[in-house]
Parts: sequence; structure tokens; C-alpha cells
Amino acid sequence: MAATTVAQFDGHDAVAVRYHDVDPVYAETRDIRLLGFVLFLVSDCVFFGAFIFAYLYLRVSAPTWPPVLNGHQLPWFDTAFAALNSVVLFGSGVTMHFALENWKHLNRRKFTSWLIATIVLGIGFLLGQAHEYSLVLKDVSWWGTTMGASFFTLTGLHGFHVFVGVIYLTTLLIQTNRGVYTGSKYFGLTAGTLYWHFVDVIWVALFFLFYLW
Amino acid sequence: MEAGTTTSHADHGAHDHIHPPPEGFIRKYVFSLDHKVIAFQYFTMGLIFMMVAGSFGELIRLQLTSPTGAIMSHATYNTMFTMHGTAMVWLVLIPLVTGAAGNFIMPLQIGARDVAFPWLNMLSFWILPVAAIVLFSTFLFGGAHAGWTEYPPVSLADGTAGALWCVAIFLVGISSTMTGLNFLVTIVKMRAPGMTWTRMPLFVWATFATALMNMIATVALSDALAALFFEHVWNVPFFDATRGGSAVLYQHMFWFYSHPAVYIFILPAFGVISEVLPTFSRKPIFGYKLIAFSSMAIAILGFAVWAHHMFPGGLAPWLQLPFMILTFAIGIPTGIKIFSWLATIWGGRLYLTSPMLYAMGFLITFTFGGITGVFLASVPADLHEHGTVYVVAHFHYVVAGGAVLGFLAAIPYWFPKATGRLMDERLSKIGFWLFFIGFNGTFFPMHWLGLEGMPRRYASYAAFAATNPDAVFWNRFETAFSFLMVASVGLLAFNVIWSVRHGKLAGINPWGARTLEWMISSPPPYYNFKKIPIVLDRPYDFDKPLPYRNLDNDVDPYPSPIAAVTGVKPVGAGA
Repeated sequence: MAATTVAQFDGHDAVAVRYHDVDPVYAETRDIRLLGFVLFLVSDCVFFGAFIFAYLYLRVSAPTWPPVLNGHQLPWFDTAFAALNSVVLFGSGVTMHFALENWKHLNRRKFTSWLIATIVLGIGFLLGQAHEYSLVLKDVSWWGTTMGASFFTLTGLHGFHVFVGVIYLTTLLIQTNRGVYTGSKYFGLTAGTLYWHFVDVIWVALFFLFYLW
Repeated sequence: MEAGTTTSHADHGAHDHIHPPPEGFIRKYVFSLDHKVIAFQYFTMGLIFMMVAGSFGELIRLQLTSPTGAIMSHATYNTMFTMHGTAMVWLVLIPLVTGAAGNFIMPLQIGARDVAFPWLNMLSFWILPVAAIVLFSTFLFGGAHAGWTEYPPVSLADGTAGALWCVAIFLVGISSTMTGLNFLVTIVKMRAPGMTWTRMPLFVWATFATALMNMIATVALSDALAALFFEHVWNVPFFDATRGGSAVLYQHMFWFYSHPAVYIFILPAFGVISEVLPTFSRKPIFGYKLIAFSSMAIAILGFAVWAHHMFPGGLAPWLQLPFMILTFAIGIPTGIKIFSWLATIWGGRLYLTSPMLYAMGFLITFTFGGITGVFLASVPADLHEHGTVYVVAHFHYVVAGGAVLGFLAAIPYWFPKATGRLMDERLSKIGFWLFFIGFNGTFFPMHWLGLEGMPRRYASYAAFAATNPDAVFWNRFETAFSFLMVASVGLLAFNVIWSVRHGKLAGINPWGARTLEWMISSPPPYYNFKKIPIVLDRPYDFDKPLPYRNLDNDVDPYPSPIAAVTGVKPVGAGA
């Protein structure tokens, strides 16, 4: 079934293939998995949301922000560097989009290049964050103040999501090389793209809340 | 109404393919993917922990037979009420009402062969024993003392035991979230052809609303527990007021989950009652759509009332008013349900079987608990009643007299479907009266003791008893009656074990019920439905032929009542 599907729809019109026409059994399984994955992202969103609520609560009820520790006013975070790092992450969202589009159009080689670019940018973001942590830790520790507690918890949770995403995308790269996915059956790639965009969107909120506000 | 208006699963689909049943003991009974076996695992585990947590409760009651504390040190007493609440909520109620009832009934009622993600379902269950081990290991480290809510800063004094408590409940939360997600996808995507949203059985509606809250609210609890764990282990200042944190923040995060959790317990019980009452009244359910939509209204409103648990705890006055009004408002959908149920049995031909007795007991106790809840929602009244045993009475009427009684109605009702045999009817009825009388005897006096000001969670109430000498009598009265509930649960366990082997054979449809699970053999085969049925209408119109096509078995199109099976004769206006 899989082999005939690819051959049959080889070429640029492959996007127009509706799952239901090709393989109704697969279509139903895919629908179920897609809804399950979207709901997972919704619940993950609440996981960030409740910590963001905690951050807002602590910040709004604090007498000064950044807080004062041992009579010493803590500095703001470095917005310029974080903005640069954000561009890296948002860029990886764009490259991921092109990767999936190329897969849908059956351009395997371009797909692989865009996916590798995404992984590299993801790793770049993580390295940037590690660098930023090393700078921030000079003044603010995780356990010292509410500022550190909320900053390191939320960005750490986000960084962990990026880390998981990098591993996920690398797995997808290996899987596509082994021929796990075809031109019409590529739910793993859809899920990976959704996840990666989700991680991007969360960063928009975190960037605004920690660096711009 | 025509068939197949929504989906096209009938002709082809992933679930048209019947898998062979698994071979070997481990795959069949331990790491099973079958929703029915998993439900049985939840049921067994929940019942065992109900006995454990119940015995903690009995120790609490024994302690209170003397105003200075009869049997244990104050620290041990604190651990006992903490573990009683924690285990009852997370190891008994959540696993029983969603894990056991939801898993067994919901896929059968929507005509599915299993839940959407069977493997995830298995994982959800097996997380729980691990969580239970972690939870009970807190005893080795001195126990948790701060009550089932584990409010900081008091809970921060628990040290390792407090940290392990967080880990245990975090694990339960993960399990619960995954179950919610699984059920949502199952209900949205895997209903039998023709089963539109407004043709779903009401238990499925209730499970849908429950799953929604399970999936969203539980995650917020996970955050609260993670933050509390960080504070325990690495001293990260989320809740420590001396370093800018806020203990009230924990209360917000905790109750954002734990208030919806109350509806997570109660909505499946509502679903059970909505199935049991029409079956044994031989009448269509009154107000189908209103009951279904009020479940959703409760689920949505349930997210906006959490701070009514925090009125005396430093909540800003401008916030108290909206939370008070929203809490009053949640009485409206609940009242709609109560009146719809009363209208359902009104003028019916009532068969007072054991599930029906439990259901009617539920109507009384739950309504009572609901009404005291409205008093508590009012800020001025709450400031007086908060922290007294009045609150204990209220939430036991809602949770034990509501969720547990509803679940106890479900056991004799679906037991014949699960095992093929009826439970012993006489023992079930004795069990009901023991529970009902014991329950009311235990918790009813707490209303006036609470109004007189008897504090909850105190190991010694000597100061209160000095001004209210009758308190000693009533506490002994409560303790005596509480042992009737112990007898009832013991009788239930005996009845279940005995009836599996020796109960009367039930046949396909012993109650003459009309939902889909009663159209297949008892116990259901591994694959549930050989042919996926087609649904033409709602299941509650007792005067019309069954609204199904494509059934596996030849069933009576007008399923007859149960007198032949149990010897019960109908009573009431319609008899």
C-alpha cells in the first residue's frame, strides 16, 4: 500500500492527496493520533500557564522588581542577547515549516537540508541559553529570590522542551533515512512540526514576560 | 432520524479489524491493553486502598471518642488525617470513578472496541501502584502532617516525607491527565456510526466533561507540586513569604485543580445515576439535553470557583465577591440535574433493586451536601464555618454521600455485565442500609457541632468540649455509626468475591436496560463488538423499539424489566 501510494502521486500534486481517498484505515488512525497530540500540547500549555501565573503573581505582589537581595538591587536580564537567541529559535520554526512543505512535495533532499538546519538552530538556541545562564547566575540564583525561581523554572522548562525537540527531530531524521514515512503517511513529521512550533510560541510569551515587560 | 449521519466507520476503518486476544497470563491479566481488564485492575486497587484509607479514618474517629484524644499522639493524628484524605482522593476516588467506571463503561456505551490509546491506558494504570508505594513510604520518614492540601509553610516542615508526598501526587496527576486525554479522543473520534453528540448515553457525557477537567486542571496541580518539591529539596522560594514568595499562591494553584477535582469525582457519579434511574423507573430520562449540557456547564464553571476555598486565607475582598457569586451559580446546573432526576422517577414503575436503592440514597445525601455547599459559598457564613467540622460534614456529604454512593450504585448495576453473574441482591441491600445509616450517623451531627465551633483537624477538642459538653456524646455517636460503613465495605468486598463464582447467571441484559453495553454478551468478548453497531436514536425511550441496527446478538427489541431475575416487584405511581 505504502509503495504504490508514493509512486501513484509522485510529483508536485502530492499535497492534494486526501488521506481518505488513499487509505481510509490509515486516515482514521491518523485523525485519532492527531487529536491526541493536539490535546497533549493543550495540557502542556497549561503546564506552562500555571507557572506563568505563579510568576505574574509573585512579580505583581513584590514591592520592587527586580527584587532586592541583601540590600543589593538585582539587575534586569540582558534583552539584546535574548533577542538574538530568540531570532535563532524563531528561524528554526521557519526552517521546520519549509522542511515539512518539502516533504509534502516529495523533495527529499531539500527536506533533509531544512531539517538539519532546524536541528542546528535548535542546538544553537540551547547553547545561547547556556551562555545566558552563566551570565545571569553571577547575580541571580535559582534558590535565592522569586525572580530567580520563576526565571530558571520557566526558561529551564522551556529549554528542556527544546532539548526534547532536538532529540525528537534527530529521531525523525534517522527515521526518514530508513524510510519509515512515505509521501502520504508522515504523521510523525506532522507531530514533530506541531511540537516545534508550540515550543516557539511558548518562547514568544516567555520572551515578552521576562525581557520586554 | 436516519443512521450514519456523522461518521463512516461502519464500512471500513482501523477498528473494523478484530485483533486476536493476547496469550499468556502476563499479557492477559497484568500488562493487559484491554480496557475492561484495566478497569478491573483499577477497581481492585481502588477497593483495597479504600479499606486502607478507611481504616485511617476509623483511627481518626477512635481518637475523637475522648476530648483529649483517646489512642494516639497528636503528631500521629496529623499524619492520619493527612493520609486519609490524600489516599481517599488520589488512590480511591480518582482511580475508581474515572479509571474503573470510565474505562469499563464508556467504550462499551459508545460502541468502540477499546479506548483510543490502549497502551497509554495501561501506562496510566501502572503509574498508580508506583505512586502508592511512594505515598506510603512517607511513613518511613515521619509522615506528612499538613492535611491532604499540604499547605506551605506548615508542609515545608515535613522534610523528606513532604517531598515524597509531592512526588506521589505528581505521578497520580500524570496518570490522571493521560486518562483524560485518552477518554477525550475516544469519545470524540470513536463513537459508533449514528451516535451523534445528542444520542450519547448520559454517562458518556459525564465522562467527557470529567475527562476535559482531568486533562486541563490536573496539570496545574502538577505545577503546584513541582514548585513545592523544589522548595522542599532546593529551597527555591516560591511559597516562602520571608523571601518574597507567597503561601497564598500555592493555595491558588492547588485549588485551581482541586476544586475541579470535586467535579471529577462527582460527574461520573451523576452519569451513573442518569443511567440507573431511567432503567429502574422504566421511563425516559427527563431533560436529556439539560442533563448533558449541565454537565458541561459544571465543568466550565468548575474552573472559575476555586478561590471559595480561600476566603479566610488572605484573598482580596474584591475577589471574594465574584467567587461567591460564581459558586452560587454552579448550584443552577446541579439543581437542573436533581430536578430532572426527580422528574424521571416521578410517576414511574420503580424497581427497588440494589442499584436503585443506592441511586435514591444518592439523591438524598448529595442534595443535602450540595445545599450546605451553598451556605459555605457565602463569604460571611464561610468565615464562621471555615475550619470547623461543618466543612468536614459538607464535603463528606458531597464526596462520600455523592461520588462514593454513586459508584456503589454502579457496582451492582454493571457487575453482571463485567462478570456474567449477578451480585447477591440481599447482601447488596443490607450493604446499602448499613452504609446509608452509618454515613448519616457519622456526618450529620458534624453540622451542628461545626456551627457551635468545633474545629476540624484537632487531635484534642478539650477546650471546645468544656463549653459544649454534648460534643463528647455526639463524637462517640459518630464513631459508633462509622463502623456501620466499615461493615458495609467489608460486605461489599465479600459480595464481589463470592458472586464472581456463585452469583446467579445474568444473561445479556438482566435489567432490561437500553444502552449499547447491554446488547453484547456478559462478560463482553475481548473485542466487545464483532460488528460495530449503528445507532438510530437516544437509548432512553422505553416505549419504543431499541434504536440499534447491526447488533451481534438477537436481543429483545423491547427489553423487559428484571422481575424474573431478582424477584423484585415494581412500586410507585406507574406500577
